[in-house]
Amino acid sequence: MDLLFDFLTQVQASTSYLARWDVVLALLVGSVGGVLIGAIPGVGPAVAIAILLPATFSMDPIVGLTVLLGIYGSSMYGGSIPAILINTPGTAVNALTTYDGYPMTTRGEARRALSLAYSSSFFGGLFSVMCLIFFAPVLARVAPMFGSREIFLAALLGIILVVTAHRKHTLIAAAMACFGIWLNTIGLHPASYSKRYTFDQSWLSGGVNLIVVVLGLFALSQAFTLLHGDDEKVRLTRLKGSFFQGFRELARHPRIAGVSASFGVIMGMIPGVGEFTAQFMSYTYAQKSSKRPEDFGHGSSEGLIAAETANNAVPAAAMVPLLALGIPGEALTAMMLSVFYVHNVIPGPQLFQNDMDFVVALYLALLVLNVLVVIFLLVATNQLIKVVKIPNRFLGVCILILSFVGVYSLRNSLTDCILAAGFGVFGFIMKRMQLPVVPIVLGMVLGGIMEVKLRSAMARVKSPLDFIDRPIAAILFGMIVLVLALHFRRVWLDYKERKTDEWQTSHASTSFAAILSRRRNFILTERGKTLRAKRKTFSRRLTGRD
Amino acid sequence: MSDEISEHPDRPQRGQVLFAALFLICATLLIAALGDQTKWLKGKDFFSQPRFWPAIGVGGMVVFSTLHFWHLPRKPRRLPRWMREADWLQWAESLFWGVLALGLSLWLGPVAAAPMVLLVATIRVTWLYQHWTDRREAKVWASVFEWAGWFLAYVLLVPIIGYLPVTVAFTAILTWRVGYRDRIMMWSAILFAIVVVIIFKSFLQVKIPGAALYEYLPGALRSFFILNF
Repeated sequence: MDLLFDFLTQVQASTSYLARWDVVLALLVGSVGGVLIGAIPGVGPAVAIAILLPATFSMDPIVGLTVLLGIYGSSMYGGSIPAILINTPGTAVNALTTYDGYPMTTRGEARRALSLAYSSSFFGGLFSVMCLIFFAPVLARVAPMFGSREIFLAALLGIILVVTAHRKHTLIAAAMACFGIWLNTIGLHPASYSKRYTFDQSWLSGGVNLIVVVLGLFALSQAFTLLHGDDEKVRLTRLKGSFFQGFRELARHPRIAGVSASFGVIMGMIPGVGEFTAQFMSYTYAQKSSKRPEDFGHGSSEGLIAAETANNAVPAAAMVPLLALGIPGEALTAMMLSVFYVHNVIPGPQLFQNDMDFVVALYLALLVLNVLVVIFLLVATNQLIKVVKIPNRFLGVCILILSFVGVYSLRNSLTDCILAAGFGVFGFIMKRMQLPVVPIVLGMVLGGIMEVKLRSAMARVKSPLDFIDRPIAAILFGMIVLVLALHFRRVWLDYKERKTDEWQTSHASTSFAAILSRRRNFILTERGKTLRAKRKTFSRRLTGRD
Repeated sequence: MSDEISEHPDRPQRGQVLFAALFLICATLLIAALGDQTKWLKGKDFFSQPRFWPAIGVGGMVVFSTLHFWHLPRKPRRLPRWMREADWLQWAESLFWGVLALGLSLWLGPVAAAPMVLLVATIRVTWLYQHWTDRREAKVWASVFEWAGWFLAYVLLVPIIGYLPVTVAFTAILTWRVGYRDRIMMWSAILFAIVVVIIFKSFLQVKIPGAALYEYLPGALRSFFILNF
C-alpha cells in the first residue's frame, strides 16, 4: 500500500517534467519522426539516433531523451508497414513480421495485417510501460544494493551475453567486443594520466569519441551501403477503410498478447538479449500453443500478434538496466547514455534514489508516446506509406548529408570526421560480411564502466572470494558461470551434431575406393612410375614388368 | 539488436578470409606495441595499472580473431605443379619457420618475438587460403572510398564556402552522381538540403561555424548568414 502511495505521489511529481511545451514538442517530433524513419527501409532508429545525438546535447536531458526515446519506441510501429506491404522490414526487428504480415497482404488482407500490427505494438508498448511504472519503486529499493563490484559483474555479464547471443559467430563478436574495449582505452588513463596508444599524436590524446564511432558504424556505413547498392522496385497495395478492427481481433487473443509482452519485458531488461530473442520465444510459444500451428509463416494473425507485441515491449524494458545501473544492454541505449553524461546526470542507483521523478517522467513520456503514435498511424497510414517509395541511393545521399551534422557539430573537428569516415568504411565492410558491429559499441561503453568499477571495487578486496561475498555479487557471478557453461555446452552439442552429420553423409567405402582408384590411375602413368621410383630410394627399382 | 546476424546464418564467404586476416594483422601489430604504448607503474595495484585494460582489449582481439580465422571454412589455393611436388620446398619452409622463431626470440626475446611470428604466419596462411572472390571483394571495399572522399570534401568545404551553399551544391551533385538526373529528383535534393540547413542551423542552432566566405557579405547580411546559414 505504501509502495502504491509512493508511486502515485511520484507520478504526480513527475508530470511537472512533462507539462512543458518543449517536452510536448519533443514527444510529437519523436513519435512522428520515429514512425517515418521506421517506415523507410534502410534508415532505422540507430542511424537516426546517431545523427540526432549531438543536436540533443544542447537540450534539457528530459527533452533530448524524449526525442531519442520517441524515435526508439515508435520506429518499430513504422517498420511494420513495409514489412507487411512489400515484404521488406523497415527496421531489423520487423523481420519476423514479414513471415505472417506479407502473406496476409498477398491474399488481400493488408489493412487487417497493418491494423493487427498497430494494435499489438500498442498493447506491447503499453504493457511494458505499465509494468515498469509499477515496478519502479521496487527497482528503486533494489538498485542501491548495487555497489562497484556488482555493477562491474553486471557489465561483464552484459558483454558476455552480447557475445554469446551471436550464435555461431561468437568468436568474431568477442573479437569486436575486445576491439571496443581497446578503443575506449585510447588516450589518457584517468587515474595515472599516462598516455595509452596515442602514438604521440595529439589528436589521439583525448581518446576516440563514442559518438564518432557510432556515427561511422551506423550512419555513414549505412549511407555507403545504400549509395553502393541498387534501388528496389516497389509496388504498393491500396488501403481502404479504417484500422480499428485490429483492436477487436487482438482482444480475442489475450493469452498470446500477454505472454509475448511479458517475454518482451523480461528479455528487454536483460542486457545484450533484446528484441530478437523476445520475438523468437513468443513466436515459438504462440505456434506451439496455437490450434492452427500450420498457419504460422503463411499469414497467421497469432504469429503477427506475437512478433509485434514482443518487439514493442522491449524499448521501455531496455531502459531499466540503463537507468537503474547505468549499463546499456544494446546499441541504442548505449547512445542514449552519452546524453546523460553530457548533462552530468549519471544513471545508476543514485538516480533512482535521488531523482525518481525523472525516471517516472521518462516512463510516462513513453506511455504518451505510444498513444500519440497509434493516433498518428490510424489517421495517416495512407499518406505515410508513400515514404517507402523513396529511392535507396537518394536516401544514401540524405544520410551522408545528415551525418555531417552529427559528426561536425560535436567539436567542429576535421579529425573526428576523418575518423567517422574510417569507421564508416569499416562498418560498410562489416555489413557486407554480415558481421556484428553492435559488440564494438557495447565494448566501448561497458569496457569504460568495467575499468572504473573494477578499480574502485578492488580497493576493498583482499582475497578473490571477497569479490563475491555479497548476495547480489554472488548471484551475478553465478549467472556469468551459468551463461558460460550453457554456451560451451551448446558449442559442444553443435560440434557433435556437425560431426554426426559429416559421418552420416560421407560414404567411407566409396571414398576409400575413390582414393584407391585415383592412386592406381596416377601410378599407372609414366610420370607416376618415375616419381615412385625416385622416392622409394630403398625399395626395389621398377622394371619393365611392373 | 544484439542478434543482428542470426537472421543470416549462412553469411557470404567472399572476403571473409581477407577480412579476418587484416583484422588479425592489425591486432598483432597493436599487441606488439603494447609495451611501448602503455606504462606499467611501480607500486600500483595490478587492476589499476594503465596497461591492464588495453592488454585485455588487444589480447582478446588477437586470441578471438586467431580462433575465428582458424574456424573459417577455407579452401587452399591451387599451387603450381612444381611447388606441389617439390619436397625440398616443404623442408625449406619448416626450416624457415624454425630459424625465424629462434632468431627473433634470441634477438627480441620470446615475448616480443611471438607477435612477429604470428604476423608472418598470418600473411603466409592468408596467401595460401585467399580466393579470387576475396580479391574481387577487396575491390568493392576500395570502391567505397569514393563516397568517403565525397564526405570529407564536403567537410572541408563547409568552413570555407558556407553550410547552406555547400549542402545545396553537394546534395545536387551527389544526386546527379548516383544516377538521378530528372528534374523532380534534382529539385527534391535541393529542397532537402535547404530544409536540413534550416532545421539544424537556423532552428536547432547546432555548432557549425560561419564560413570564411560570409565575411565578404555586406553588414547585416553577413551576421544573418553567419548565424543562420
